Amino acid sequence: MVDTIAIAGSRDQRARAKPSLAEALVRARYKYIPDHVVGEILTKRWIDNVAPFTFLIITIALFGCLLPDFFSPASLIVSLRQLGEFGFVVMAMMIVMVAGGIDLSVGSNFALGNFTALAAMNILGLPVGVAFLCTITACCLIGLLNGMLVGLLRLRAFLTTLVTLIIVRAVVDMLLLKYAVQISGAFVDSDIWDFIGSGSVFGVPFSAVLLFVAVIVGHVLLSRTRPGWRVMAVGGSRRSAHNSGISVRWTVCGTYVVSGALVGVASFMYAARLNSAGSDAGFGMELAALTAALLGGNSLGGGRGSTGKALTGAIIVLVITNGVVRLGIPSGAGSMVLGAVLLLAAGLDVRWLKNRHKVLSKVYVSPTVNDLPPCPPTAVGSGSPYEVNDKLKDVEVIGLGQVEAPEDVIFDRADNLYCGTRHGDVMRFLAPDYKKLELFAHIGGQPLGLAFDRDDNLYVCVGGMGLYRVAPDGVVSKATDETNRSTFSVNDDSRLRLADDLDIAPDGRVFFSEATIRYEMHQWPVDSLESRGNGRIICYDPRTNATHTVIRNLKFPNGVCLSYDGQSMLFAETWGCCIKRYWFDGPKTGQVETVIASLPGYPDNINRSSDGHYWLAIVGMRSPAVDLAFQLPGFRRRMSRRVAQDEWLYPNLNTGCVVKFNDKGEILDALWDLKGVNHPMITSMREHKGSLYLGGITNNRIGRYRLPNADANWSGIEDYWGRT
Amino acid sequence: MLRNMIDRFVGRGEAAVTVPPMDGALRPNQALEQAAIAAEARAPDNLVNHRGDILFSTGRELRKLGADSVVHSFDRSITCLAAAPDGHLAVGLSGGEVVIVAPDGAVNSLPAAETSHATALAFHDDALIVCRGSTRHSVDQWKRDLMEAGTSAPGSGSVVLIPRAGPPRVLADGLRWPYGAWSHQGRIIVSESWSHRLLALDPAGGTRPQTVLTDLPGYPARLSAASDGGLWLAVFAPRSQLIEFVLREDGYRRRMLNEIDSDFWIAPTIANGRSFLEPIQGGALKQMGVLKPWAPSRSYGLAIKLAADFEPVMSFHSRADGSRHGTTSVLEQAGLLYVASKGGDVIVSLPAEEFVEP
Repeated sequence: MVDTIAIAGSRDQRARAKPSLAEALVRARYKYIPDHVVGEILTKRWIDNVAPFTFLIITIALFGCLLPDFFSPASLIVSLRQLGEFGFVVMAMMIVMVAGGIDLSVGSNFALGNFTALAAMNILGLPVGVAFLCTITACCLIGLLNGMLVGLLRLRAFLTTLVTLIIVRAVVDMLLLKYAVQISGAFVDSDIWDFIGSGSVFGVPFSAVLLFVAVIVGHVLLSRTRPGWRVMAVGGSRRSAHNSGISVRWTVCGTYVVSGALVGVASFMYAARLNSAGSDAGFGMELAALTAALLGGNSLGGGRGSTGKALTGAIIVLVITNGVVRLGIPSGAGSMVLGAVLLLAAGLDVRWLKNRHKVLSKVYVSPTVNDLPPCPPTAVGSGSPYEVNDKLKDVEVIGLGQVEAPEDVIFDRADNLYCGTRHGDVMRFLAPDYKKLELFAHIGGQPLGLAFDRDDNLYVCVGGMGLYRVAPDGVVSKATDETNRSTFSVNDDSRLRLADDLDIAPDGRVFFSEATIRYEMHQWPVDSLESRGNGRIICYDPRTNATHTVIRNLKFPNGVCLSYDGQSMLFAETWGCCIKRYWFDGPKTGQVETVIASLPGYPDNINRSSDGHYWLAIVGMRSPAVDLAFQLPGFRRRMSRRVAQDEWLYPNLNTGCVVKFNDKGEILDALWDLKGVNHPMITSMREHKGSLYLGGITNNRIGRYRLPNADANWSGIEDYWGRT
Repeated sequence: MLRNMIDRFVGRGEAAVTVPPMDGALRPNQALEQAAIAAEARAPDNLVNHRGDILFSTGRELRKLGADSVVHSFDRSITCLAAAPDGHLAVGLSGGEVVIVAPDGAVNSLPAAETSHATALAFHDDALIVCRGSTRHSVDQWKRDLMEAGTSAPGSGSVVLIPRAGPPRVLADGLRWPYGAWSHQGRIIVSESWSHRLLALDPAGGTRPQTVLTDLPGYPARLSAASDGGLWLAVFAPRSQLIEFVLREDGYRRRMLNEIDSDFWIAPTIANGRSFLEPIQGGALKQMGVLKPWAPSRSYGLAIKLAADFEPVMSFHSRADGSRHGTTSVLEQAGLLYVASKGGDVIVSLPAEEFVEP
């Protein structure tokens, strides 16, 4: 088997000699155009608002051009006053829609509110405050009726509110028939009433000011308070909301009452402004409000919506309806335009909801150029320090079938062997024969890198969770799960997604790597496909309990190991196939230098060896096809879109090896096992008392290789912290 | 033109990388993997029935199955074989022509102009049918021929009929690597490997070539007769999404062909896993030390039985976790089915009860 391996390096080098102009352009394009940001922006919740907002700008620009005096101050004030009233009605529609319903009765309810306010002021002569309360109460009662029928009796929202629309309108018409003359004849002498109707605050109409306040307060209520969350939850998924203990019926009922109250506010301001007992108040308003709510981006299906969206939609609809009237287009055209826009909005709402995640999955993965230096040869007879051999062929096996996915292994002072498993446990094999296995601690996430501190606490990097600490008695506590957020990152990178490997400085500071900030642990192949510098090195200081990021933009950093100088950490960049050194102390503090520029495979964990050097696990070997693909981001991007993930070209992690290197980056030894029968995959190794113990993240065992000529008394924990 | 560009951009139409599934009669099994070994030889290739004996080619030698003896040895490696009922043998040689070995051992060369690049041979009555894979590349450069051709470039292969007396006739040309031929019910059935299909040719040259089976899930090789009137078809490698994708990626493919050793290309092959420098695919990552049989693989072992109307009715497989890959030749004789695994360095045999329908 060994003799069939040819050297691919020479061809690589020849081809690499001269990059063409086209290649240079491609490189520059991937260097300077951050296309990964597009995907990250698409994951944001506010992205829903972009389309409505653009539409708003277009509408305003269009009518601004068509009607030169459309945005003159006088015209603007009239429009704003209308907006103040209409905006409340749209919010009323929105709140019901967010909970998954629809309220068609807002128009007639508006008319009822108008009548109530005028009757209270003009006929009964009540004070403004009392009249306001009467109006709100009347509208709330209609809302409550809707809420009882839809929420509690679970009738269809559309039909029920259609019925209330008709009935309430009929009632208002009858009342108007009887009292219209009385209302028109009376005169109200109230400054407050006039101020509500025609007053301004610093030039802005009162109703508009009230609306903006309501939008802000409403946003906080809906997105930051318990009742708001409940409404959102009910709209998002009734069943889930029910299962998590939310009273779905009462929540739905509540939204109709709130809707009624908001309509009440709008109608009161309308009454104050026009003082008109005409029967056209609120006529067709449900259609306009529904259009506005939808256009703003509130989903018909519920669960997505905000007051900001409602405001956007309200402005668009108002500009369109007023604009059409002002353009002098014959009556009827306004409704037609509105109908067309409603159709458009409803269609976009459905398409966007359906396709958003598809678009996201297509654009989120954004590979970049990963131009690796030539691959060092590994063939027998090549004279390379990496020459293949079969030294690891007869590795002894510990705990076969008892542990799954031991990414890292470590020993305590009593020689017990610790490893993590994919079930979220830290397991312990008891010395001296490592036959007996016991549960040391259950953490919940998959433990990756392990390290003991001065006080025998075991620090564990847990994929998806962060950095955890297990005391000698097995008590688990969180060390850190967040770091400082980068200033210009789109993704929130303060949470730790994939803490990977760690080591501890003499002063107790824990330096650990986070492999990627764009993907979860099980998505590591996607990160390799991207080969972008998505990872970072983070420092956690147990003395202050503070965490901060020390290096960013690393290609899957891994294998952190304290150097013998006590002032620097070695770390590996897995997709960069290199080893680097970070100085955290001493004269070179903060600097990063390359120790090994090019490895023949993908480096993983680094640990100390008994002779003052370092062991490095190479988890998989570079293949020429992958190295070439790394230079061609477009190829990889198309592959990620067209080819199923199981069929992707992967880094070859089926064969790996262990090498020993020194502080200068020279390779001193290489241990190979090409068949991988006893121990198939290597992500980590730890030397302890004359043997090298091997861990592998896709293995169900731990390997033990008896090192010839190694110090039989050396142990890592004593090398770091001395004897007790 | 515009259509092609849009298709390339969104990955549909010609740019879609869908692969026909192995289902129905082609449902995978482990029959080839579990079959008994009939002979071990380095890269055994073409199996023929020569007056009741089974002969096969391995490198430069022509061997007899079960006898461990070299029947004939040539100065170049053998690319294909055929045996005539009267005892004549036709042997295609790498980088050269087809030679005829008479029953008395006399060797006669046929003109290289009509017989070079022979990938498969067959006798039709008295005439010899020669499949010429491609005029661009020699037979052992088959991988380069496929990867340069991509999915749609017309081939340079042809099928030539050489009568015992008279001038040779080209039955079909512009083929994408014809890699198997058999005389069946008066017509010549040819497997066109790079197009994953079987063609029926008229030996008289009267009618146009007719497609009789399409959308094979692999790259077909040699054909031979089944005892019940059907045909046996050997398939030496699977089609996979990744390879189909690479075949449509001109930029990557060009650089791969120029810069990388052909053993490490993303291309069909007769055996894989021999070196860690070979490309692997996601599903082929070992978990807990196990390679799953359904893992994507660049090589495969597959023998398909076709009914007389070319409908697949039965198949025998060696899957990703197996080693009997690169099956280039199948032969049924005396109640046994022999399959040559060029990549697995063995010839296996299956007993009649496995493949004869009751």
